Amino acid sequence: MNRNTAPTDWKSAAMQKRIAGRYAAERRFKFIGLGAVLLSGAFLAFLLFVMVGNGARGFTYTNVAVPIDFKAMPLTVDKARLGDADADQVIANAGLADIVAFAADEALGDGGSELISENAWKEVRSAIKADPALLDRETVFELPADSAVDIMAKEGARGALGAKVDALEKDGKLSTGIHWPFFKNADATDPAVAGIWGALKGSVLTIFIAFLIAFPTGVLAALYLEEYAAKNRWTDLIEVSINNLAAVPSIIFGLLALAVFINWFGICQASPLVGGLTLALMTMPVIVIASRNAIKSVPPSIRDAALGVGASPVQVVFHHVLPLALPGILTGTIIGMARALGETAPLLLIGMRAFIGDVPGGVCSPSTVLPMQIFLWSDEVDRGFVEKTSAAIIVLLIVLLSMNAFAIYLRNKFEKRW
Amino acid sequence: MTFNAAALLLLIAGLALIGWIAGRQRSNLLAGRAGTKLHSRPQYHGWYVALWLFAPAALFLAVWSSVSPGLITNQVLASEAAQSLPSFGFERGAILSDARSVALGQQEAVRLPAAAPLVQPYADAAHKYAWIGIAAMLALALAGGLYAFTRIKPDFRARTRVERIVMAVLLVASLVAILTTFGIVLSLLFESIRFFQLVSPAELLFGTNWAPTSGAPVDDTFGGIPLFWGTVLIGAIIAMIVAIPIGMMTAVYLTQYAAPVVRRWVKPILEILAGVPTVVYGYFAALTVAPALREFAVMLGIPNASTESALAAGIVMGVMIIPFVSSMADDSINAVPQAMRDGSLALGATPNETIRQVLIPAALPGVMGGILLAVSRAIGETMIVVMAAGLSANLTANPFASVTTVTAQIVKLLTGDQEFDSAKTLAAFALGLVLFIVTLLLNIAALRIVKKYREAYE
Repeated sequence: MNRNTAPTDWKSAAMQKRIAGRYAAERRFKFIGLGAVLLSGAFLAFLLFVMVGNGARGFTYTNVAVPIDFKAMPLTVDKARLGDADADQVIANAGLADIVAFAADEALGDGGSELISENAWKEVRSAIKADPALLDRETVFELPADSAVDIMAKEGARGALGAKVDALEKDGKLSTGIHWPFFKNADATDPAVAGIWGALKGSVLTIFIAFLIAFPTGVLAALYLEEYAAKNRWTDLIEVSINNLAAVPSIIFGLLALAVFINWFGICQASPLVGGLTLALMTMPVIVIASRNAIKSVPPSIRDAALGVGASPVQVVFHHVLPLALPGILTGTIIGMARALGETAPLLLIGMRAFIGDVPGGVCSPSTVLPMQIFLWSDEVDRGFVEKTSAAIIVLLIVLLSMNAFAIYLRNKFEKRW
Repeated sequence: MTFNAAALLLLIAGLALIGWIAGRQRSNLLAGRAGTKLHSRPQYHGWYVALWLFAPAALFLAVWSSVSPGLITNQVLASEAAQSLPSFGFERGAILSDARSVALGQQEAVRLPAAAPLVQPYADAAHKYAWIGIAAMLALALAGGLYAFTRIKPDFRARTRVERIVMAVLLVASLVAILTTFGIVLSLLFESIRFFQLVSPAELLFGTNWAPTSGAPVDDTFGGIPLFWGTVLIGAIIAMIVAIPIGMMTAVYLTQYAAPVVRRWVKPILEILAGVPTVVYGYFAALTVAPALREFAVMLGIPNASTESALAAGIVMGVMIIPFVSSMADDSINAVPQAMRDGSLALGATPNETIRQVLIPAALPGVMGGILLAVSRAIGETMIVVMAAGLSANLTANPFASVTTVTAQIVKLLTGDQEFDSAKTLAAFALGLVLFIVTLLLNIAALRIVKKYREAYE
């Protein structure tokens, strides 16, 4: 090394400039880092903003006031039968749909019946079932508008139909209210009556089955691996498969379910049962990994103390380790379940993409789930489904975020440092 | 009267509960006598009885529910009404399943007239075998319970026996992971071999024309290169161009510059990005990002810009991947010993020089592992590409064009009205096998790299 060089002249102009440059680089770098954080945050905010902006309107719907005078147009049904199980059929056979269409034409002018939803008479039907006295007088019903009318009322009117909508608005015949059918109905081809309840119930059933299978299996497997398993080739194999399963693409689980559950075992296709089984296989590795971490963090002194007073190894684990590890296990499970709840791809393959117009009755009846409903609606040509899709996304995100928030709350509340 | 497995399971669970109470009571009584000392605590005797009640009966239930449909069908086929059935094939199966649905009350009336005379024999047979099954199950449960109950004695080692069963249950639970892996490998392999009997593996792996339309191998071409290219273009190129810089810089900022309070809040917020369901991203990409990109491309004068573009899917997927990259980078930057950082700062390097020349090179293996995992996740991602990347197989480097990916094609091949044996459906499993092998290799490589690197500083 050459020791004869002169000491660096820090005060020289060149050196000062160099230092200033390095500091500027430092500021730039920090700024880029901040920019990266803000960019990701901005993307999230933009996503949420677009969804809420589109979806908020999906929760409301335009109603048209239509007076129906049942004295002038009598609906000939036996009121005693309105409480029966077949009341729907009785009223439909009596021609209520025609009466409602006629009343709409009368009240709203020519073509008025096209301004209300083709399913609007079903609203009248349930009102009659609730109060048969309506059949004796004139009542103004707030009936759901046709989907195109609803869009124009919300976005501004255009064209010939727009003129009619404007006229209705001027007459005060339009009103906006919370769209209850969206929460109460299953899928339908008419956006005025399509709802998410069927998909939501399907999701709940599916997740319930998945939890019922994945949680005990995952926790027990984690207990075995962490507490009892000898270190040998077999446990290595188990470990490797669990770690790999956690990273296998979800669609592969769909292929597995299609080949094994549906084609070999013939379990009811497109049902929450098959969906739940599939998602259980997918979430089990996640639960095992989270549970092992939770079990690992329970200090050995607790095990030693229990063993010292005469507990058997099984008692040590089930009386002491498991209760202490449970908050951590639950946190991991909730996060795993939230992931399963948002999953679509594997369920596509087992037939859950079919149009299901009914609320599922049980675990073996065909059903759809919330993410699948979003996927199906996103393919609909009818413009009324755009806001439905976003509204369903809002519901799904609210459910998922509250699950995640609950998991974080649980972790913070029970977090223990030994 | 049908054979409802869930209700029966509940029934024997109820019996097991009674057995538990009875066994516990009995051992309590024994313990109450003067001069006796139980080997095990009373609840273990209860568990012993309950397990003997439950396990054989539940096992029988599982076997019976898979065997009895065959027995029922045999009896129906032996009946007089079945003599007029078509001898074999699809029609026969359809008639039988129609009759079954009506007999089991899943359907109100028969759809096929030929099924009508079979309904009654079906209902009779189902009734008969349901009663046989229930009777046998109850007999097994009671026999097991009684056997266990009579064995309760003060010196009976109930706890040891119960614990042995518990250990067996734990072992079985951990074997589920291996079973699932085998299930995946076998089902993919089995169907892929059937596919490769129709179409050569070389064509799938090296062919450049992907056009499965009719389902018959002679008319179709199953050249996988356009799909593999589309997958790489979206998942490994475009998504990573978005995710790696943003993810890395986010990790650097949050570990090195941000105040602890900021870090505590920003990190979980960014992790929401990974928790948003992919179908939501897909919808967002198709509805908002893709049209905007198309306008942009038209403005630039790019020909054949499509509303379904590789770029839209890739960008959105990249955003989804950001938290993966950033949390892996975060971990490996944090794992670099503080001494190395302090040493660099003490020599007069600015924080940014320290990060770029000391921390990141030291953390690089971990970061690389994270990136490999992110790539593996991106190429396995389905919904975004199904909804935003399009389904036309294109061998193009133009990011504004529509391309298709392996996962999108799997979905497309399996959601049509195809028979399960056609080359088209089997092709989906072959593609699944390729995807599985590639992601497996990526994951193994990633884990190796991360593991090796972790050991370096310990």
